[in-house]
Amino acid sequence: MAENEKKILLEVDHLTKYFNTPKGLLHAVDGVSFQIEQGKTLGIVGESGCGKSTTGRSILKLIEPTSGKIIFDGEDITKYSKTRMRRLRTEMTMIFQDPFSSLDPRQSVMELISEPIREHRLLRGNDAIQKRTLELMDTVGLAQRFVNSYPHELDGGRRQRIGIARALAVNPKLIVCDEPVSALDVSIQAQILNLLKQLQKDHGLTYIFITHDLSVVKYFSDDIAVMYLGQMVEKANSDELFRQPMHPYTQALLSAIPLPIVGKNKPERKLIRGEITSPVNLPDQCRFLKRCDACTKDCETGKNPELREVAPGHFVACHCV
Amino acid sequence: MENTNKTGNIRQFKGRSLGQETWRRLLKNRGAVVGMIFMVLLVIVAILAEFIYNYDTDIVAQNSKAIFASPSAAHIFGTDQFGRDIFARILYGARYSLLIGVGSVAFGLVVGMILGALAGFYGGVIDNLVMRANDILYAIPNIMIAVVIVSLLGTTPFSLLLALSISAASSFARIVRAAVMQIRGQEYIESAYAMGLPTWKVILKHIIPNCLSPIIVQVTLAIGSNIIAASSLSFLGVGVAPPMPEWGAMLSDGRPYIRSAPWLCIFPGLAIMVTVLALNLMGDGLRDALDPKLKK
Amino acid sequence: MSENILEVRDLVVHFETDDGVVKAINGLNFSIGREKTLGLVGETGAGKTTTALSILNLVPNPPGKIKSGSILLDGRDVLQMSDKELEQMRGNDVAMIFQDPMTALNPVMTVGDQIAESIQLHQFVSPKDAFEKAKEMLQMVGIAESRAYDYPHQFSGGMRQRVVIAIALACEPKLLLSDEPTTALDVTIQAQVLELMKELIRKRHMSMLLITHDLGVVAESCDDVAVMYAGKIVEIGSADEVFNQTRHPYTEGLFNSLPNLRERGEELIPIKGLMPDPMNLPEGCSFAPRCPYATEACEKQPPELRHMGGTHYVACDAYNDPDFCLRRNSHG
Repeated sequence: MAENEKKILLEVDHLTKYFNTPKGLLHAVDGVSFQIEQGKTLGIVGESGCGKSTTGRSILKLIEPTSGKIIFDGEDITKYSKTRMRRLRTEMTMIFQDPFSSLDPRQSVMELISEPIREHRLLRGNDAIQKRTLELMDTVGLAQRFVNSYPHELDGGRRQRIGIARALAVNPKLIVCDEPVSALDVSIQAQILNLLKQLQKDHGLTYIFITHDLSVVKYFSDDIAVMYLGQMVEKANSDELFRQPMHPYTQALLSAIPLPIVGKNKPERKLIRGEITSPVNLPDQCRFLKRCDACTKDCETGKNPELREVAPGHFVACHCV
Repeated sequence: MENTNKTGNIRQFKGRSLGQETWRRLLKNRGAVVGMIFMVLLVIVAILAEFIYNYDTDIVAQNSKAIFASPSAAHIFGTDQFGRDIFARILYGARYSLLIGVGSVAFGLVVGMILGALAGFYGGVIDNLVMRANDILYAIPNIMIAVVIVSLLGTTPFSLLLALSISAASSFARIVRAAVMQIRGQEYIESAYAMGLPTWKVILKHIIPNCLSPIIVQVTLAIGSNIIAASSLSFLGVGVAPPMPEWGAMLSDGRPYIRSAPWLCIFPGLAIMVTVLALNLMGDGLRDALDPKLKK
Repeated sequence: MSENILEVRDLVVHFETDDGVVKAINGLNFSIGREKTLGLVGETGAGKTTTALSILNLVPNPPGKIKSGSILLDGRDVLQMSDKELEQMRGNDVAMIFQDPMTALNPVMTVGDQIAESIQLHQFVSPKDAFEKAKEMLQMVGIAESRAYDYPHQFSGGMRQRVVIAIALACEPKLLLSDEPTTALDVTIQAQVLELMKELIRKRHMSMLLITHDLGVVAESCDDVAVMYAGKIVEIGSADEVFNQTRHPYTEGLFNSLPNLRERGEELIPIKGLMPDPMNLPEGCSFAPRCPYATEACEKQPPELRHMGGTHYVACDAYNDPDFCLRRNSHG
């Protein structure tokens, strides 16, 4: 019993991914490190271009990392080839963002959900596979009558449930959720988030929850990592991050969320100036420099700050903290 | 939840695939339906002609007593300079147009699809090699290719088919490449990889089947244009040789007599025109039926 | 001069398609006061964009048909206007900002030319003067004048949206229609653009119809709020009234679905079911099948719009019972 308590399911060490573009070297992900305990959720937050999706895909080895280490359940999978990774595809799966393009339009719901089961030969015989598919549909809240339907006949919420059933079909340990509710209406979002939370409880799943929506990430994650231009600028327990954000970018990000509150209790908003700078050919300097209100002379002359622990479990990459 | 019963029979639940949706929309297009009916009839005629008419006696035998007979009850489309019944020849000739049209497109499709898929999927050097070779081929006119092949292999329907396959392959390669490149970026392909599917399976199971929409439209239109091409080549003497009743060849034969006995040209010409029109109506209908923007 | 810049009365818009009639808008009633901002909230399929297009009389016809109703813009009925009057009105009296900044701009024209185009259409100025004015507009939205010669692809999403705003405001319209103007933008850029819009609207004494699904954006920027469901307004009032004295079960459901205000661990309370198919709307109240407070009567009779005090109106027959109160409001 006690052994399960602090088992680290995933460890990522200085994960880096660079792309060669005609303009130069694109720093998509630059030295990202973190650990996730089994059964917990790590939220990765950031705006477009911060590298969160690339990070998620690199962990699943859908993108080959340029350097760094990925250790899954004690196994160093960084250099694994596609064939070696195949075995792990039943342990780590992904839920995609766009319910409209993440399902093959030519496959019925039955085919979509049973495909991973058949591919990995987890069950034998059509009857067993059919039974399992219907069970999975039940688990994700998809009515049985949709079993022979096609994606284009269903709405976004139902399609996303198919995606979840697919990810769940192989009984994985880790699921990377790449903006799973961003394309859905608010009331459907709530349904899907509740479902994901319930599944985590029932199956002991570990999630990496990638999103740009801060309100969703707070509700859903145990720990949160904030990314900017390929780097993790702050990482802390969820409550702690919202209570005491330390990095200027995190503070600005939190401040920018439009709160659905009307009246005098509303906190003042702090706006961030400027636009995100180009991720190509980045010098060894703090990347947030041009937009930061709190920077000093040291920040301009200093190197790119590393992530360091400034409070128990609270990491920040900033010279001024 | 409504799912508490055992597996039972799930066939009771219906779903409508994209193919069925497309078919349903196609049927609403009157032009396309007319085109399809015509093509079905044409195929039936082409098959039955073999049984109704005897090649030697009805199609090629010369009957000096009935030359240049104008259309009448006995000879619906009249007779030609050799006294051969034009109606019989047209019905019989349907097979050449269909075989060459469909055959050349079929060959071209297989070759073009393989090349286009490789180029679209792998990109980079392979893409460059395939597409530049394709561009060179595309730049050479049909007729010249046909002339070269025919001079090497003789004026048979087969050499004509081969020549037209090459140009068909060229255009299919381009279309398939574009379709593959677009599909490659879709999330469901990533999902297939995330599931652990090997590359060859991803291509065969997920990429190629989704390319079919643009291909189907191109197939119907290509058959039409290849029928015209075959007829033109036969008209120029580089295709099917007399006495085979290929429509283009018949047109060519009838040219000297266009003033005195116009029916020698009119009916083969009409046959070509109506067939290609039917195919174009089908192709346009298919394109509209497949276009997602025209939905609701 | 009426006190309302816009009055929509009993608007009904249907789309007649091969598969059936889509009842997009079913009796819409609202108005926007001068120099006020109304937030129109609803989910996908509620009919918000169709509403905006109707105001400009731009509903694609076929298959869209404005069946009945009137739209009074400063006293004149838009639906009765001739084509020439409409052309004069669009861009000049009413301007619209669309959702996707990536496709809202013409990729082959410079940004300056696109702003100038609008000016030239409605005002009698030379091309040179129009371009000068365009540069001024760029500066007003926070973009350097020198960038007037650049093309849309050279700008980021946030900056493109600013250009779109510049084009919309170039002819000093009285009413601005914004359809999800910041949905496609990053959170920090969203905040910048919303602030900009608020400032400009205030300075130029304009009114705005802000269409969005984001209640946070509404709280930030709007004086009044209208909640839309299945082509009808179910609740309308000032922002304070709708947020702090919510009356309609659907509005309550929307608030309950938001993760923001909840503590981690507490379950979200989503609205069960889905929005009804607009080709097949239920009899009676459209929200009844999903409503936790619905009674049999609700499914038979569509509810009346009733006055709840101040400027607050709600379409819900539960209030026939004077003691009825939403769970949200009953906790002290």
